[in-house]
Amino acid sequence: MESSAEQNIVNIEINDISLQVEPGQMLIEVADANGVAIPRFCYHKKLSTSANCRMCLVEVEKAPKMLPACATQVMNGMKVWTKSPKAIAAQKSVMEFLLINHPLDCPVCDQGGECDLQDIAMGYGGDQTRYQERRRIVKDKDYGALVSTEMSRCIHCTRCVRFGEEVGGIAEIGGTGRGDHMEIGTYVQKSLSSELSGNIIDLCPVGALLSKPFLYSARAWELQSYLSIAPHDAVGSNIKIQTRNGKIMRVVPADNEEVNESWISDRDRFSYLGANESRVTSPMVRNSSGNLVETNWQAALDTVIKSFTEIIATDGGSAVGAIASPSSSVEEFYLLQKFMRGLGSNNIDFRLQQQDFSAGAEQSAPKLELSLQEIETQNSIFIIGSDIQREQPLLSHRVRKATLAGAVVSTINPKTIEFNFAISTSVKTDKLTPALAGVAKELLSRGLGGDLNLEQLLTDGAVNIAVEAEHKEIADSLVNGENSMVLLGALAYRDQNQSRIYSLATAISKMSNSSLNIVTEGANALGGVLAGAVPYHSAGKVEVSECGVDVAEMISNPPKGVVLFGVEADKDLAGDDSAIDSLGSGFVVAITPFMDRLTYEHADVVLPLAGFGESSGTFVNAEGRWQSFSGAVKPLGEARPGWKILRVLGSSAELQGFELDSSEQVLNEVKALCDVTADKSEPEISNWSAPTDLGNIEAEMVKPIPLYEVDAVVRRSAPLQEQAKKLTGGVDDV
Amino acid sequence: MDKLIRLIKIWTLWELFQGLGVTGRNLFKKKFTLNYPEEKAPQSPRFRGLHALRRYENGEERCIGCKLCEAICPAMAITIEVAPRDEDSPESKGEVNGAGKSHNYGNRRTTKYDIDLFKCIFCGYCEEACPVEAIVETRIYEYHFEKRGENIMSKEDLLKIGDSEESQLATDLEVDGRFR
Repeated sequence: MESSAEQNIVNIEINDISLQVEPGQMLIEVADANGVAIPRFCYHKKLSTSANCRMCLVEVEKAPKMLPACATQVMNGMKVWTKSPKAIAAQKSVMEFLLINHPLDCPVCDQGGECDLQDIAMGYGGDQTRYQERRRIVKDKDYGALVSTEMSRCIHCTRCVRFGEEVGGIAEIGGTGRGDHMEIGTYVQKSLSSELSGNIIDLCPVGALLSKPFLYSARAWELQSYLSIAPHDAVGSNIKIQTRNGKIMRVVPADNEEVNESWISDRDRFSYLGANESRVTSPMVRNSSGNLVETNWQAALDTVIKSFTEIIATDGGSAVGAIASPSSSVEEFYLLQKFMRGLGSNNIDFRLQQQDFSAGAEQSAPKLELSLQEIETQNSIFIIGSDIQREQPLLSHRVRKATLAGAVVSTINPKTIEFNFAISTSVKTDKLTPALAGVAKELLSRGLGGDLNLEQLLTDGAVNIAVEAEHKEIADSLVNGENSMVLLGALAYRDQNQSRIYSLATAISKMSNSSLNIVTEGANALGGVLAGAVPYHSAGKVEVSECGVDVAEMISNPPKGVVLFGVEADKDLAGDDSAIDSLGSGFVVAITPFMDRLTYEHADVVLPLAGFGESSGTFVNAEGRWQSFSGAVKPLGEARPGWKILRVLGSSAELQGFELDSSEQVLNEVKALCDVTADKSEPEISNWSAPTDLGNIEAEMVKPIPLYEVDAVVRRSAPLQEQAKKLTGGVDDV
Repeated sequence: MDKLIRLIKIWTLWELFQGLGVTGRNLFKKKFTLNYPEEKAPQSPRFRGLHALRRYENGEERCIGCKLCEAICPAMAITIEVAPRDEDSPESKGEVNGAGKSHNYGNRRTTKYDIDLFKCIFCGYCEEACPVEAIVETRIYEYHFEKRGENIMSKEDLLKIGDSEESQLATDLEVDGRFR
């Protein structure tokens, strides 16, 4: 008998080279891992095997016919030839069949130059066709504003169909008819609704599915690629920004198995189209007659420093404040807080949508305790107040993968939210706190309270907490799940009772021995906390002597001088128009890429900020991964990267420590302060203690922010807005 | 013996007369010097002269903006900008040439097609790469520039040459066609 160690190894030979591989793998995986090229169309490493293109036929010893490498498992003693005369003949025959109906329009087709069919036809295609009959012509389908179709080019590999079923979570595309009459399309004529639908453009091995906004604007070989990080959610998807002549032409995913696998969301893919809409291209100062007039950088900066110095001289440092976008880079957050603290103010915040700040510095940073990959291995997932599928599409994909592996998902969410994965227990409510308290009370009644001192809060308190059947089910699933996680989303963080919800979620995770995972708005909320852009502490959690005020306080009681950094105030901030307008009552410095209403009506100085893809920086994603990126194109007009603007502001105000020459230098300073090594922040242990009351238990839950309304760039992307309109039938409110 | 033959050759000026023989033969041979510009050399149908952009018989530009000529040009003399063709034009609906089988077929069109004749080395690769026989090289080799910038042929210039040379171009392409 063989020993157990040897049983886990299979000896095979590919092209007379002997390999030792793990059993259970398909031939094509082994071949790919060992650098043996096998042509393929339908096989994709992230999708199931369908084996319907037959391009990967290889010769296997003792097999009567050629076998498809993508659907043949390795077996001991197997001998495979991928380039034997028989294999090549089979592959060439398949190629000839595939080319029968494929139009010869490569020079016209946008896929030309990056087309699998074109590339493989160079190696395996004949130089002439033997086919004399009419070619098949298929009517094009309308897939919406993002994906263009040219269905005559389709070779029926079904990658898009499988993507819809396996990754997108909605089986929207399918094949109808058979043989020569087979067509790929949506079953009913409608646009694709998946928030990941753009990935089928990359998956399509031919030019049947193409990017509609990119159509006919450039060829693949003219583009220069720059690695970057998507700025619309906290996943930190790796992207490639592709440019031509200094202009962003398109965005495609970059593979990173630990973060976004091979996918990106449509938001990340098509937001670049809004990057140059209504841009501010030169510094502006409001003149005496109340109009914004263009000026030069020096004059604009002088105005800022002069006014701020006057305000501070009369009212002290705490009369100024700063509000930053949660998608600012670490460098920008750091320099902004350094600038404000240098002026003597701790009034700095980026938590634009948050309403309840009563927990103050007690709360830990919004961070996932697990890595994104670990989410897939959870057995029980409890989602609290999160439209995860729209907020963080690729994090939601990990949750979905967990459910496919058998995980139990329970949610507490408003009624309108639906997901593309199975949910076992769903509490649909308008009020988050009572439901969460119910779950906590159930866990407490099972004697899991330990030394958390929750009795006074949950059982003896003035408020009577009802424990319902669903709450018991959720408690069951959390306690029984071997790996269980609690996921606290943006809706919970934007709740009027946020501090108690955070406490209850922490209590639940401690009692049920689950991990506590928090993911909120913006691309860099965790980076904002680490870089110190909060009123409570500066970079590296260095406590400040006197706490500053938070964003809600700054809106209700506006500081005399305020810096708005990358914030489209009237859309990004919580609160009604009149409240936002009050922010404009003081001296407003808008450092922004875009002209918006508040800037236009109230800003006293407008400094043009570099937009999407124009500046270098670093985002810390939800799991604490520090990912740096460089600029892909030059900033538009007179716009400058945020870290440069803030550096000059700092030196103009004669503050110390602004002698920085590159964004790397800024980053290294932040990293040293935050004690970050290996580009990964570890979960922090917070000193948590039970709250004494449940706060505003009757607080109504806030509405989720629609998928394509999350930030200024996305809101300006015309194709995304058109798609949103199509999906909601013209109604703006989802 | 060899020494003797050499001495005879030297003293009879044998090698001198041998050389004068070549001169004399060529003196009475038919001349191939041409009296340019009154006389011109014959040209092959493959002659690679000034470039032109051709049209279809119905007047539509042949060029589909695929940029293969730009990509293959070893001297990087070609610059092309493309844009989708106006969706509502009769061309794009396929009413003109019957080619429109779908709403976006052949939709890419050049908005700029420049050839820098200072860079061009007249290798003919652009002509070879063109899938629709749009960019061709004519038999024209007599041209000059008087001002800076005239060396850059714009799309309009190229189409104008194409229009005036079309009959010659069509004949040449047909003659050469069977070798392609």
